Amino acid sequence: MADVGTGLIAIGAGLAVGLTGLGAGMAEKDVGAAAVGAITENEALFGKAMIFMVFPETIVIFGLVIAIMAIFIM
Amino acid sequence: MSLPESMSRIVIVGTKSRMDEAIEAFYQLKALHLIDHTTGADGLSIGTPMSRNAKASERLLKVRAMEKELGIKKHAKTPKVPVDEIRSQINADSVENVEKEIMSVLDRRNDLNQRITELNSKKKNLELLGPIPVDLDLYSGYKTITSIVGSVTEDPTEVLKTIGDIEYFVSFDKKEGGIVAVFARKSDRDKISAALVDFGFTEITVPEGKGPVSEVLAVTDEKLTDLNGQLESVGKELEALQMKHQTFLKASDEQLSIEIEKGEVPLKVAVTEYSYIMDAWVPTNRVEDVKNELESKLGNDIYVEFQETRGRRMEEAEEVEDRYKKVPTKFNNGKITKEFQYPTKLVSVPKYQEIDPSVLIMIFLPLMFGFMVGDCGYAIPFIILGAYGLKVTHHKDWRAIATVLFFGGIWAFIFGFLFFGEALGMHFVTGEIENTIWGGGVNVTWDMLLGVTFPEWFSGLLPFGHGVGKLEAVTLLLKLSVYVGIVHLMIGYLCGFYNKYIQHGFKEAFIEKGGWILSFIGMVVLCFVLTQVMIVEEASIVIRGQQVLIVTAIGFILLIAGVIINFKREKAQAILELPGMVGNILSYTRLAAIGMSKAGMALAFNYIVFGMIVGIQNGVSSIIMLILGILLFAFLHLVIWTLAILSGGLHALRLQFVELMTKFFEGNGTEFKPLKIKREKTILTTENINKEV
Repeated sequence: MADVGTGLIAIGAGLAVGLTGLGAGMAEKDVGAAAVGAITENEALFGKAMIFMVFPETIVIFGLVIAIMAIFIM
Repeated sequence: MSLPESMSRIVIVGTKSRMDEAIEAFYQLKALHLIDHTTGADGLSIGTPMSRNAKASERLLKVRAMEKELGIKKHAKTPKVPVDEIRSQINADSVENVEKEIMSVLDRRNDLNQRITELNSKKKNLELLGPIPVDLDLYSGYKTITSIVGSVTEDPTEVLKTIGDIEYFVSFDKKEGGIVAVFARKSDRDKISAALVDFGFTEITVPEGKGPVSEVLAVTDEKLTDLNGQLESVGKELEALQMKHQTFLKASDEQLSIEIEKGEVPLKVAVTEYSYIMDAWVPTNRVEDVKNELESKLGNDIYVEFQETRGRRMEEAEEVEDRYKKVPTKFNNGKITKEFQYPTKLVSVPKYQEIDPSVLIMIFLPLMFGFMVGDCGYAIPFIILGAYGLKVTHHKDWRAIATVLFFGGIWAFIFGFLFFGEALGMHFVTGEIENTIWGGGVNVTWDMLLGVTFPEWFSGLLPFGHGVGKLEAVTLLLKLSVYVGIVHLMIGYLCGFYNKYIQHGFKEAFIEKGGWILSFIGMVVLCFVLTQVMIVEEASIVIRGQQVLIVTAIGFILLIAGVIINFKREKAQAILELPGMVGNILSYTRLAAIGMSKAGMALAFNYIVFGMIVGIQNGVSSIIMLILGILLFAFLHLVIWTLAILSGGLHALRLQFVELMTKFFEGNGTEFKPLKIKREKTILTTENINKEV
């Protein structure tokens, strides 16, 4: 059996990825809907739309980094 | 750094009588980007289209209509027709003749279709009337009696019984509904209709005819078969016509479009009574060439004057007339970089006065893709698929994807072979036997699996003797990603600085971008100290004691200096952006993270197949399990491979678009579009190649 500390680290890492994932998802929902709308109006906007689309992803990457650090480095 | 090609502006003046010839010459040069003339201060108006355009447009309309009617596909493959031939055909009224031929068949088809529709509706009514024992001619032709016939959804017999002085026939079936025919006085018509409405009554018109319904129905059926047969033969005739005229229609479509396009050139230039004046952008290195070519062809009837060679400084653009302000961007790239213009254009066409990021994308996009995939087993299909794609496809979207797959695949192979030392998620060389399934662990390795020992020099090539484990050397991979990020971002900042430098000079560039560079370096230094103090284990600390203070001080000074420089322009943004810098750097950790996620999946799949299903650590249990295992192995790795395209490709692209390009790229340029014609269905024969486009 692993000790309680390891378990807490695992829970922390899970929360870090899960909650940031939720956050990013909520943000991307709005951005994505607007982006698809914009692209249907003008296809040339694809590149810009994609840039906006992936902005919120950074949140989940932070979460992932924290999780990785929690598991492998702490 | 690759800036767009240098452009010069020229003005061409010529006599209107030879404008036709001049336009042909312009198209042959393929180097003139016309500047639209705007009717304005100089009092010159724009020209009118060539007189031949009206006729050509009319013919093109006919050709397109015929193509549509005959169902000729847009990309139908037809042989190429010499221009002379198609032109003489068009001039000899071939379009009109073909139209006559096709229209007569089409008219017949439409006529047949209409008659078939009519007969079909008649047939439907007759079938409804079938159960009622009344001859068709008895439904009408009375002076005082009228017939009310229609379908019902419920049985109206009970109600009809109560109405006196009528004769009625009802045929009703609970599932399919029924039909009712009532014969009554003309004056009672409304009353009966109203009574029937409650039963879902819909009136039908009784078809004309004589005798029992069944006989009329049989005759109608016969007629229908006959007409359908005729329709079929007309269809075949049309098919034959399509085969016969397809080549002509496609070729004339193209030829007419080209003629119309050329005929519309006068709409963009200024004309006076006897002359025309047009402005155009020409690549600087072709100015002399253009001038000589035009003058040798048109002699004294044309005059070309060089106006300016536009530099990259923004002030130059401020001084000129509005329509000369924007210079078209002609990409200045080699053969390979050209393939990477596509992602640049997805964002925007670069301005004339800025660096074209295609080169940077060419370097970093495949590199990052390759690092994220980092596996020989996935790399080889990528290379093959990419090479095949580049060889066969000419569609720009597919070419862009194939390019990334090909070059990304090469990088993936290099990383997979020399750095990670693995294929399909399995290391070539076993590190510690305890980690493998043979030693009670979960890893599978190639040398154990195949029962071979790789030569000493091979494992000597790999880091740690067996390659970097994506799930073991996490710290190393994370660090590496961050270092790549710092370099990548720094390149972005420097490009931004260079852009401002060529646009506005050194001072302006320093104020606008220098501050960012300083604070970026300061931030990097501070983060370095922070990780040294807080995270790194005792053994691998590089700076300690007093050094920490000194380095921190340097970091702070750079950071503050950067913020102060920025504060003038950006106000509070200068401070608010600082955490964003750290965010940008950390964003590159996805390089490691995506590699890890794929390695994790591959590890699990390999363990399931070899450890659990085949049970290879105890010797192969049965042939069936082995075959099953190998099939599953192929399928599961195909899943990872597909995911690698999506996640690897998209994230590598994102790092270019968001992290790199936002640091310097402004875009919103116009692309250089010279007057030129691309022929697909028609060809120039050798004799007329000189006098035509």
